[in-house]
Amino acid sequence: MPETPRHNLPAEPNRFVGRERDLDDLHDLVGDTRVVTLCGVGGIGKTRLALRVAARLVPAYPDGVWLVELARFGRAELVEQEIARVLGVREEAGRPLLGTVTARLREQRCLLLLDNCEHLVHRCAEVVAALVAGCPSLRVLATSREPLRIASELIWRVPPLDLPDEGAADAESVQLFMDRATAAGTRLDGASLADVVRLCRALDGLPLAIELAAARTSLLSPGQIADRIDDRFSLLTTGGRTAPARQRTLLGAVEWSYDLLAAKEQVLLRRLSVFAGDFDLLLAEQVCAERPIAANEIVELLGGLVDKSLVLCDEGRRRYRLLETIKRYALERLRQAGEREVLRERHLHVLCALQERHFATEVVEPGVPWPRRFEALIASRELIDDQRVALEWAAESGDVLLGLRLCQTSTGLLPLGGNLREIVGWIERLLSLDTTGVPAEQIAHAMAYLAYGLEAKDELSRSLETARRSLAEMAPDDDFPRCVMHNLVVVVLLRMGRAEEAAHHAEEGLTVATRSGDRWNQAASLAGLSAVALVRGRLREAQRHGEEALARAGEHGHRWLMARTAVQLGAVAEARGDLAAARTRYETAVPWLSELGSDLELSRCLARTGRVAAMLHEFGSARERLAAGTDIARATGQRQAVARCLVGLSVLAECEGDLEGAVLAAAAAAGLRESIGQHSATTRFEELLGRARTKLGDGRTTSLWSRGRAMCPDVAARRVLAGERLPPKAAKAPVTAEPVRHSVLTAREQEIAGLLTRGLSNRGIAGELVISPATVARHIANIMEKLGYTSRAQIAVWAAERSSGSG
Amino acid sequence: MDQRIVMVDSGTGLKLTEEQLDERSAVAAVRLRHKGVRAGDTVLICLPVGPDLLVATHAVIAADGVAWPLPVDLDQATLRDRIQESAARVMISNVQRALDAAEESRVRIVMSVAELSGASPSCPTGR
Repeated sequence: MPETPRHNLPAEPNRFVGRERDLDDLHDLVGDTRVVTLCGVGGIGKTRLALRVAARLVPAYPDGVWLVELARFGRAELVEQEIARVLGVREEAGRPLLGTVTARLREQRCLLLLDNCEHLVHRCAEVVAALVAGCPSLRVLATSREPLRIASELIWRVPPLDLPDEGAADAESVQLFMDRATAAGTRLDGASLADVVRLCRALDGLPLAIELAAARTSLLSPGQIADRIDDRFSLLTTGGRTAPARQRTLLGAVEWSYDLLAAKEQVLLRRLSVFAGDFDLLLAEQVCAERPIAANEIVELLGGLVDKSLVLCDEGRRRYRLLETIKRYALERLRQAGEREVLRERHLHVLCALQERHFATEVVEPGVPWPRRFEALIASRELIDDQRVALEWAAESGDVLLGLRLCQTSTGLLPLGGNLREIVGWIERLLSLDTTGVPAEQIAHAMAYLAYGLEAKDELSRSLETARRSLAEMAPDDDFPRCVMHNLVVVVLLRMGRAEEAAHHAEEGLTVATRSGDRWNQAASLAGLSAVALVRGRLREAQRHGEEALARAGEHGHRWLMARTAVQLGAVAEARGDLAAARTRYETAVPWLSELGSDLELSRCLARTGRVAAMLHEFGSARERLAAGTDIARATGQRQAVARCLVGLSVLAECEGDLEGAVLAAAAAAGLRESIGQHSATTRFEELLGRARTKLGDGRTTSLWSRGRAMCPDVAARRVLAGERLPPKAAKAPVTAEPVRHSVLTAREQEIAGLLTRGLSNRGIAGELVISPATVARHIANIMEKLGYTSRAQIAVWAAERSSGSG
Repeated sequence: MDQRIVMVDSGTGLKLTEEQLDERSAVAAVRLRHKGVRAGDTVLICLPVGPDLLVATHAVIAADGVAWPLPVDLDQATLRDRIQESAARVMISNVQRALDAAEESRVRIVMSVAELSGASPSCPTGR
């Protein structure tokens, strides 16, 4: 989609100072090298430099520049999960996520920026090696305290900022200090320059240390800061004498800044280390307000920490975060204060309470207008990383009860929120722990969500069994999850072809939901009844239930539910042959799904809309819908979704009279489905092949089918979308270098190239031209660089051909 | 080209011809350029006396750089000081002690001898 930005780089929080030459060099190196790793100690400015380089490179990567922040993740398997999340790739059944990501990036020219790899360096190395091996045009820029140590890596050591010389005081480090002091509201005159120079030297040009010092200039003069820093460093023992000097300097500066904080600011800073990533004021107030800090003091304390550059915030002061280096220091302090367990516990409780509230507002409570529900959905999604951290702690500390409660309170962890598998992992992990003392009803409730996840993973019989156990053991008055289970069972049984049993559960669900006034489940049950009726061929009944379902869904307001029921009505209309009505129904769901960002369901809905539009011979809009659906499907990496769009494209091609294109697209879809072990919709294909054999003949049809099977799905899709006949294989760009114009060489260089054809050595050429051999060597290096050659012999051959050609 | 011998490795007895010297240093000069070496840049070279040192030195000069050789047997502290003093961005070395001494310096890129002789700019022949 052209309107989506081709990067996810954050806005720069303040002015970037210095490193011009480094930026230029790195710009070229990243283009030239598969993997560049910026290495160096914490606080030296790796991330900032990488972001700056990446921002400059955005125009060079048509498929985007994508930042993947790894600092907040503790487990190795989260590396590929986070890459997938950033790219919008969804895990497929039966294929490792890394495989899907690699396939998605294979043809793409994009740059991945992996930030803070050090704590997961082994997994990062494996993932990057696999991606680079599988994706020829991919470039990776990483930041890490340790190099990845893989074959294609260029290790680039980030140095501190330039230090001032005796004479020139405009060094980068001094510029940075001045800039940040000005930002802190301090005006420094020329008289303090000598102190600033002394201070920058004492801080070894480390950007973070300089920023922390500059943030204090409103209270202390540069001279006072320099004196105190000097005293401190002479006493510094933290980090041990063996730690590298820069690390000790940095730690010293952080500690100095921390010690200058008021007591309550210190307490708050260390408590802030429990958050996964960025956080807002509300969360900070709820988690961190405990003796000696009151909740209403937090906004002021946070402001103080921002002023001292220990906490960062966005322009609107809405989201706050800690730099990784500060966070580690704060966490250590939290441990030393003996508060880590207490704070983790609190974090878990608060997350539970917040997510329960958001879930109730988004889904359960009656009469909430959609904008409020949507707000709750967004708020819940913003907490998802903290929710994961809290779940991790629940599992680690064996708090199964709270862990399970937290699992069932967030649509972000559910297939409903586009997250197909994660819920299964968490619940299975928690249930594998000691569950003594956890009420059976609680376990049954959690199993409901497990069953939900299993259905999304296509594990139908396990899902059914889990759902039945959940229903049997759930508290009788747990109406909402009880109905959710009935409705899930309906879906599972329908997928298994057991409509009779499904009808029973749909009715049961509808009864309970109607009794409790639960619009969500009323709509879901009615949609289930409609689906059952459709399977049984009772179209009028299906229509009636479907309309009622849509009405209930509309009263509830949740766009996901409304889209689901609208699509159900579309399917009913299609079944009775009313294509125009079907199209209208499908079309209404599109903006709802776009608003939710439900990419998989959106792609599916666009495929349906496009297919029906094609059958109505509205080719322009059919093409547009199918193109959009295909783009989204491709971005998710889901082969099933791409196959669905190809089926739609096959219909479009046939309706347009392009039977060959129709066969190719259908064959490509069949090939994709086979690669994921699916063999559905064979009747549709058989009918198409029947028509093709009649019109094109057996041999032609068979050969088209096998060509389509082997075809890259993208090529097959483009073939129909562009309405053009592409050659069987994508035309490859010529491998040979473009013809070299000798005019790029200077006269002297051309002269030397000519002499090389005579087999002269550098010394021989030097004698001929009366210049030094070193100068000859320099000219030859220039010639090789200009012509892209890698040996002297190549120049000689080139020069010989040129002179024989022109002579 | 004549097969004039320009150097003998005293350890191995291997001979370096003038043709080899010209060819290898030309390739290495291009590799240095690709790693960002520009006119006037200082490049540290810490290699044992022998053909590799000669080739590296020629290459740095051909790439328009300033060669800054470091004897391999300097003690760690002196090595560290010399590296600091040079303010070099690039160092050519296979010597572990030199690599260690370059920690905390302004050296951005360390190139091994193998990387200097790599054939293609995008596929270094590092092991």
